[in-house]
Amino acid sequence: MTAEKNPKHKKIKDKDFELIQAINSGQTDKFHDLVKRYEQSLYNFSLRMCRDHRDAEDMIQETFLNVFRYLKGFRYETKFKNWLYKVAASTCIKKRRKSKFAPEKELSLDDFHPENQTDVPDHVPDWALIPLDKLLNQELSSTINQEILSLPKKYRLVIVLRDIEGFSTGETAQILSLSPSNVKVRLHRARLYLRDKLKGYFENDQR
Amino acid sequence: MTSADHDHKHCLEMFQKLSEFIDGELDHVSCAEIEKHADNCVACFTCLETLKRTVAICKNVKDQPVPQEFSRKLKEIIQNIPKTTSL
Repeated sequence: MTAEKNPKHKKIKDKDFELIQAINSGQTDKFHDLVKRYEQSLYNFSLRMCRDHRDAEDMIQETFLNVFRYLKGFRYETKFKNWLYKVAASTCIKKRRKSKFAPEKELSLDDFHPENQTDVPDHVPDWALIPLDKLLNQELSSTINQEILSLPKKYRLVIVLRDIEGFSTGETAQILSLSPSNVKVRLHRARLYLRDKLKGYFENDQR
Repeated sequence: MTSADHDHKHCLEMFQKLSEFIDGELDHVSCAEIEKHADNCVACFTCLETLKRTVAICKNVKDQPVPQEFSRKLKEIIQNIPKTTSL
């Protein structure tokens, strides 16, 4: 959890730099300001990782307690946000509770190839053509969140960090301690999985 | 060319790189190959467009607000951390 000590490394002065400096110099009451900055994004990240609200809340508490515990060792070698998500992801991975919604299985690329599916598409469906704002609604958000939760955790972590939280391939690799190529492989499979789920959703709905 | 007689090997190669293509992580040569192939293969073009839309939906999924009660509870927990044990 503690960043490596490397005196030659240039400090990254992001928007949290001064606040962290203040906290680490003794103004510990300011830690709550740091919590407020990331409470919303971490809450949603945790919900997508844990399925139910209680587990998500436990995960956030544990994450912030770990951040508080290790903040003194933060060396500004990465953005604070990236380090925070590394702590959160690590907390999440440690919570290896088996869930019937997310069995830890491998996703094979072969399963998603059009040639291996019953119907090879001969046209682009409407849901991929109509303007995005006409497609997005509460029901679709709820569906995609449910389908994300049905992904095995190793794929879910990657797609949530990349496509929802907006981290780059390199940042995601750093947060999860994976190689960039491994992140790309997992991301591609997770996207294909969700694409199939969306296809089923729109076809069943005859949109 | 129809989806029934397109080059399957090329199709498979392209299929593996679709996410990198969408993310702009491929070199110009690979991008040009994918664009050319997708122009001539309905199945691959459809796959690309539906995958792009999947990514766009994920990027625009709405967040939930933090319940006030939890926010208050978190504040209390933070305030009650023994400050001497850490910082």
